[in-house]
Amino acid sequence: MSTAPMTAYPTPPEALPQDGMSNGKFGIGLMIVSEITFFGTLIAAYVFYIGRDINPPYPQDVLEVSIAPFKVLFNSVFLLISSVWIWLAVRAMRKGRMGAFIFWWALTVVCGAEFLVGTGMEWYDMIVNDGVWIGTNLFGSGFYTVVGFHAFHVTMGLIVLTLILILALLGHVTPRNVEKIDLVSWYWHFVDGIWIVVFSVVYIFGNQAIT
Amino acid sequence: MTEPTHTKNIREIELPQPTASPMVTAFGFTLMVAGIVTNWIVAIVGCVIMFVGIVKWFGQSNPESKEMPAVPAPKPTPIVPRVDGVAHLISDSGHRARLPLAIHPYSAGIVGGLLGGVVMALVAVGWSLAMHGSLWYTVNLLAGCMLSDFAEQTTEQLYAFQTAGIIVGVMIQLVMSVSVGLLYGVVMPLLPRLHLLFAAILIPLMWSGLTWASISVINPALSEHINWLWFVISQISFGIVTGWWIIRSEKVSTMQNWHYLERMGIDSPGVRKMGEAE
Amino acid sequence: MRLAGDSEVSTLETPIGPATGRPPFLSQLHEWVTTVDHKKLGSMYVVCGIIYMIIAGLEASMMRWQLAWPGQTVLTPEEFNRLFTMHGTTMVFFVGMPILLGSANIMIPLMIGARDLAFPRLNAFGFWLFLFGSILLYFSYFGGQGLYGMGSAPDVGWFAYAPLTERTYSRGHSTDYWILGIFVAGIGSTATGINFIATILGMRCRGMTLMKMPLFVWIMLVDAILIVIALPPLAAAQIMLLFDRLLGAHFFDAQAGGSALLWQNLFWFFGHPEVYILILPAFAYVTEIIPVFSRKVIFGYPLMVAATVAIGFISLGVWVHHMFSVGLSPLINAIFMASTMLVGVPTGIKMFNWTATMIGGKIRFDTPMLFSIGFLCQFLMGGLTGIFLATVPFDWQVSDSYFVVGHFHYVLFGGLIFGILAATFYWYPKVTGRMMSETLGKWQFWLLIIGFNMTFGAMHVSGLLGMPRRIYTYQTERGWDLWNLLTSIGVIFQIAAFTLFAINLLHSAFKGRRAGDDPWDAWTLEWSTTSPPPAHNFDEDPVVYSRRPLWDLKHPEDPDWKYE
Repeated sequence: MSTAPMTAYPTPPEALPQDGMSNGKFGIGLMIVSEITFFGTLIAAYVFYIGRDINPPYPQDVLEVSIAPFKVLFNSVFLLISSVWIWLAVRAMRKGRMGAFIFWWALTVVCGAEFLVGTGMEWYDMIVNDGVWIGTNLFGSGFYTVVGFHAFHVTMGLIVLTLILILALLGHVTPRNVEKIDLVSWYWHFVDGIWIVVFSVVYIFGNQAIT
Repeated sequence: MTEPTHTKNIREIELPQPTASPMVTAFGFTLMVAGIVTNWIVAIVGCVIMFVGIVKWFGQSNPESKEMPAVPAPKPTPIVPRVDGVAHLISDSGHRARLPLAIHPYSAGIVGGLLGGVVMALVAVGWSLAMHGSLWYTVNLLAGCMLSDFAEQTTEQLYAFQTAGIIVGVMIQLVMSVSVGLLYGVVMPLLPRLHLLFAAILIPLMWSGLTWASISVINPALSEHINWLWFVISQISFGIVTGWWIIRSEKVSTMQNWHYLERMGIDSPGVRKMGEAE
Repeated sequence: MRLAGDSEVSTLETPIGPATGRPPFLSQLHEWVTTVDHKKLGSMYVVCGIIYMIIAGLEASMMRWQLAWPGQTVLTPEEFNRLFTMHGTTMVFFVGMPILLGSANIMIPLMIGARDLAFPRLNAFGFWLFLFGSILLYFSYFGGQGLYGMGSAPDVGWFAYAPLTERTYSRGHSTDYWILGIFVAGIGSTATGINFIATILGMRCRGMTLMKMPLFVWIMLVDAILIVIALPPLAAAQIMLLFDRLLGAHFFDAQAGGSALLWQNLFWFFGHPEVYILILPAFAYVTEIIPVFSRKVIFGYPLMVAATVAIGFISLGVWVHHMFSVGLSPLINAIFMASTMLVGVPTGIKMFNWTATMIGGKIRFDTPMLFSIGFLCQFLMGGLTGIFLATVPFDWQVSDSYFVVGHFHYVLFGGLIFGILAATFYWYPKVTGRMMSETLGKWQFWLLIIGFNMTFGAMHVSGLLGMPRRIYTYQTERGWDLWNLLTSIGVIFQIAAFTLFAINLLHSAFKGRRAGDDPWDAWTLEWSTTSPPPAHNFDEDPVVYSRRPLWDLKHPEDPDWKYE
């Protein structure tokens, strides 16, 4: 080092060009990418099996796309609108309004919980009244795997959201934590976004394509 | 390094604290999964362990990541130019020169290939005249590459002049000589040493071996009548002549180290002229 | 060897020597178990990978003993099935994956001038998932109740084709262990892949733009992207299979309309990127080693980057070439034949760039370079037979024969393992602070070259003579005797070579010559810190101006940044 003439160096490079994105954002973003390939595989299998079932009941006998309370459209509205609530919550937190944050966050949790309850009721209906379970036929296998894994992700998200809500009520969440809270909201948006795909494939596309 | 701007006191560097929570979480998760194939109690135990791990992990990274100061360690030795022991690539064009700096011109390869092809043909025809008394025998055998019915011909027929045989034979000889000559011209400067040995002996031997392995498929006529000794001698005569011709040609510098403007032939006053320097 | 590290010895000896007294065993163990340091985790990955390599190698040796002569009865057919399944699974998931993750773990932060990976605890989590997942798989030897109630390992082949894996045909839990063990390890690998990408994109030191990164880091970036994209589909497919087996779902059950072909598609959609995930690190190792030992900068850096990215892309669209013989439509076969041949283009670019780097250089034939050259030659052979196999009619002839076995061993053994050996000899001084023995290394190299080519070269011939893979014995009149004997004799040479390697690794760790910071006169940042590096890697954050920061420091009169 001592032999290196300092004047020989070019001007020192200043800030990194990639300073914009934090590690956490990369991490959650990439986790969502891997989740998308995971769901993509399940959904591809579901699409592959549409119309190949040889045992009844077929989807159109069982699936009911209805806006009635606790039916699938009703639930979907609740889940999708929760994306808006969580976005408002993070926005409120960025502005330092913790009261508003807790309100919107709690609303998100309520909407997510409604979706889970609705899904549970739909499953109960299908299992008890229609007699469709995962081993009944191909439709059952695909339906419970795809919708089940989505519900599993909603459950995981809901647990995290609830814990954050409790911590916030106890006063442990401050506007300094906004980056981490924002990452949680990314995950929730992903769960909602993937539901649009699952819903379209299972309830609309897969519901008609069968003879 | 030498830039003073980012110098830090070693005590200010913070590293994450060691923690067992990732291992505990992973162990719990594995047990939970293993419960599927063993017993549900295992799964419950795994669940509990995983829960403990996650709680500990959460405590490690919230509200702030638990850090510890770095421990001072021996300083790395300063980086100095090292000239002892390790050979360095130094050429007139600097350490980033694209090698090889000069190559044989392609024309040398083509001409050498043609010359070698002629000499090889003379050797082969000479053998045919001396041993079989026929001027056309080797040409017909070579043409058997493309004229498959030659495989069924008798030796007497192969001795005789055939128009198709002479045309096809000469064409094959011409194309092969030029292509192999061109390859010789490109590959030979890349070898570190013993160029002529490579060109005159090694490549003809390898070529003969390749031919030996595949001749029954490529040229059934030749495979029946071939004299391997003479075949190898013809190949070597080609190698000697072509190699000799290429080696005696004057090397030309590649344009790899030129500025791209210069390579495109654009007159550009600011650019260092590598081409004219030589 | 011509090393200039001797002058550094005095500065190194005092602080890290054993004279200070080693801490007691338990606290050492505690230190390893709780560590979140990327170098320690990386070392554990590599050590575990090497241990599994020995286990899987012994499994292969037992199979070769059985097949050395016709009609042997060393193994029963059931044992043979378990051995080839465990050999393949172990080599892919518990040798290739951990060693690549481990080497990237150690080297990426050092090469980009960072203190650690982006998520150190997640990194530890990934390692422990790999380790526990692999133990879960091997536990199946004791826990997987087979048909007769005996312990049994999975016996369905490493790609576990349905419907053989359905519960009708694979009784007991052995296939479940295969699913779960790899599932657990796969989650860990995906997490670590995410970690690598975040690290490479977000934690480079000042001045290291993307086009100034060492090619090792570039290749590992593409590798990590492939891991993140390709491993979750395997997990999804395995979950479907698990539901079939445990809950009675019908995904791969043809009697209920399910499709065994879907499993093949899903598995190979993971499986083919996986083999590129495995071979890309070998590219990364030799891309660092060849320039240093040729004393020339790598030829065509931008093209190397482009070729790496191209391989990554193309590898996601070639999986059907594993399924040419199942009777898909000619159009599909033709499309995938073309895409498969397309891989040859970027790979060819890399081969030419490596050789062009060597041309005219001052080549040093030290052990890392020898293994790199061995890699070039053998990977070329494997690549060429790969092009043969990409041709549908040829594939129909030799599909599921020993020709295929020979082909992919030339790629994964002659390519990946030779790359790993080159990397071990090259970076061992950095990780441990001591040199490995060159004499033993050269003996190992030549023994391995002989043994490897004898074993797997002969497999090509027996395959062309019609010997199918995965048979536990054969009759003498088939004409395969000589080639099988040669294959098995080659294994003896390989065992000798790997014994030398193990001795070398252990002996050099305690008695090896002190390495100094920069034993090879190399150019990337990891050689600018001590060997072994301190926990915080660099006392001062490095600043780089070119692709070879250490060249700039060593040659201030003619620095690299003037050319870039």
